[in-house]
Amino acid sequence: MTTLRMSNKNGETAVNLEQVRPEAKMQSIALNAWFGSKQALKDINLTVKANAVTAIIGPSGCGKSTFIRCLNRMHELVPNARMSGQVLLDGKNIYSKETDSVQIRRRVGMVFQKPNPFPTMSIYDNVAAGLKLTGTKKGQNLDEIVKKSLQQATLWDEVKDDLKKPGTGISGGQQQRLCIARAIALQPEVILMDEPCSALDPIATAKIEELIVQLKNDYTVVIVTHNMQQAARVSDFTAFMYLGQLVEFDDTTSMFENPKSELTEKYITGKFG
Amino acid sequence: MHRLLDRGLEQLTAMVFNMGKVAEKALAISIDGFVREKDTSGDVHELSEILLSLTVEVEEKAFGLIAKYQPVASDLRIINSYMKIAYDFERYGRYAWDICFIRKRLGGLKDCEEWIPHFIEEMGEKVLQMVRTSINSLKNQDTDLAKAISKTEQEVDEMYFQYLDKLVKEAHVTGQCTTSSVLVVRYLERIADHATYIAEAVVYIATGQKITLR
Amino acid sequence: MTNYSLRKFKNQLFFILCAACVIIAIIPLLSILYEVVSRGAPQLSINFLTQKDADGGIGPAIQGTLILIGLTSIIGIPVGVLSGVYLAEFGNNKYAASIRTVNDVLTEFPSIVVGITAFGVVVLGIIGSYSPLAGAVALSFILIPVVARTTEESLKLVPNSVREASLALGVHKWRTTLSVVLPAAKGGLVTGTLLAIARIAGETAPLIMTILGNSYFFQGFSSPMDALPLRIWRDSLQPYANLQAQGWGAALVLILIVLSLNIAVRVASRGRLRR
Repeated sequence: MTTLRMSNKNGETAVNLEQVRPEAKMQSIALNAWFGSKQALKDINLTVKANAVTAIIGPSGCGKSTFIRCLNRMHELVPNARMSGQVLLDGKNIYSKETDSVQIRRRVGMVFQKPNPFPTMSIYDNVAAGLKLTGTKKGQNLDEIVKKSLQQATLWDEVKDDLKKPGTGISGGQQQRLCIARAIALQPEVILMDEPCSALDPIATAKIEELIVQLKNDYTVVIVTHNMQQAARVSDFTAFMYLGQLVEFDDTTSMFENPKSELTEKYITGKFG
Repeated sequence: MHRLLDRGLEQLTAMVFNMGKVAEKALAISIDGFVREKDTSGDVHELSEILLSLTVEVEEKAFGLIAKYQPVASDLRIINSYMKIAYDFERYGRYAWDICFIRKRLGGLKDCEEWIPHFIEEMGEKVLQMVRTSINSLKNQDTDLAKAISKTEQEVDEMYFQYLDKLVKEAHVTGQCTTSSVLVVRYLERIADHATYIAEAVVYIATGQKITLR
Repeated sequence: MTNYSLRKFKNQLFFILCAACVIIAIIPLLSILYEVVSRGAPQLSINFLTQKDADGGIGPAIQGTLILIGLTSIIGIPVGVLSGVYLAEFGNNKYAASIRTVNDVLTEFPSIVVGITAFGVVVLGIIGSYSPLAGAVALSFILIPVVARTTEESLKLVPNSVREASLALGVHKWRTTLSVVLPAAKGGLVTGTLLAIARIAGETAPLIMTILGNSYFFQGFSSPMDALPLRIWRDSLQPYANLQAQGWGAALVLILIVLSLNIAVRVASRGRLRR
């Protein structure tokens, strides 16, 4: 139904994505998802390249959030939710019977739309929470890890003098960076971001975008956004989804200069009626 | 669906098409005046000045649209290309003026042998045809018409080199004739180049492909 | 009358009616307080509070009430809280729906029926005699549904985003509930529990057939025991003026205990809201 084309600088190559792609950090193969009887995702075949930022754009209700929640097995936590197909992480299906969903979530971290630091914990405890609550803190220097995570999230300088402040006692933009630091502290391999800037003001948004571009050196990032210019600014690859289907997937420059599908063109130029 | 950007694009398009009309008129008057030994510098100068100010307007409008609407895809290609096309039209006007000026300053072709004004008239016709083609292909977004321009472009290039070769061989041509004619032939060849740039831009707008038609 | 002044008059009339109703509603409370304080306050003394019945005190009753509160809490709070946790965190299925319904029915159960049940099961059955344990069991029957419901409500007030954040870190569900959700709901839990305790402190019917009443201090888990509500009831039926006066004193003490629990709740909530 959907033909997927990967375009590189030498031209277009049609790819049969039923095969595993070795350079992919994550890959979805024939991914379908339902909420009860309503189908939210239809046959998604998408490759997420390692150490790159992949953006997913599309109108509201197109399935972008559902898709990334399938990447870290959060989709199945919703009552009446089910899925079919495979999602590969480093070539192994995360939905296989032997795989522990909790382990997957430690390797694939997530940052949500509305910043959600733990309300009863201080900034320090928030960042350390992942380590403490998953029991991976044994033999590690928590102070070091907290500092490094906050530095990577570009929050350290702003909070270093007051780490005992409650996690909710800082501004929205800072809270979101705190959530990013919390996710990073577990050293995931992939970071999923579900519209991370939509609740923030332009200055906080700009800071987070800078952060995302830096993060890709150490992590693989998948970001869902309804702001196309943001996708154009931070991502290397962009996927356009519509009504649960993957319409087009390309490197960002090509997609925004000369999209291959007319539907994509209509959406990104705002001609959707 | 009518977007805010569409209104701006309509205005920008109208400006650019207007420039095309003015530029074509300037060139037609100027080339005709040169070949028929008429002084058209007053009119052409006026038209050239109009084109200069219109270029600035187009630039400002285009930048304004980019800053406000952050256009992508076809919108971005159009705006980008229109800025370049406006410059090409401004060049048309400039060369039209240059041709008049050569006649005014150096005396034109009145000293030349008969074949030279005929040659330049023929070349001028071809170039004017290219100018009209470029404008029409832009107006109608006709990529086939645009691509066809490359044939005429080659013919004009041929004529250009032909003339230079012939001039080198013919010893009995006055200095005034040589200078005037060579400069004008050079201008005509450059006008043809700009017409080709416009045609290439038309293809880019429609397909996103950057091609060369030379 | 103009339109405006008619409307104004109606407004004022309505306001006066409402205010009058409020006053009528408060009058019983004020009169109770007045009666209890005026008749009970003169009884208060160290002797009164600590000596046994024969020596003119209600010490055993106070001790009994405190023991009952303690035992009931030990039995009822863990069960109630964990039930609430189950209903809130794991209760998205039809079994939970039935449990919730049963729970709601139990909160409204007539306390005398609870008392009889405890009498039959514990006094006649398990222990074989009147016992503080029987009383605690009866009061637990009342405490548990209330605590379960308020726990469930408090946990439901914790936004789902907090749970999602924890689960997305790869924290197990039980750990999420224990270390993230419960602390966040702490305020509501404490409030709900204190209010439930304040309620059972004043229950009389369940105690009649389970601890029976006693003139002496605590005498072991197989003997009857005294408690303030029982003492008040018994004293009020006596024809002797001094015993009736004792009853008023006991009533005052009971009201003070309940009031202080309520005030503790208010203080705790205010601290939370300010933050």
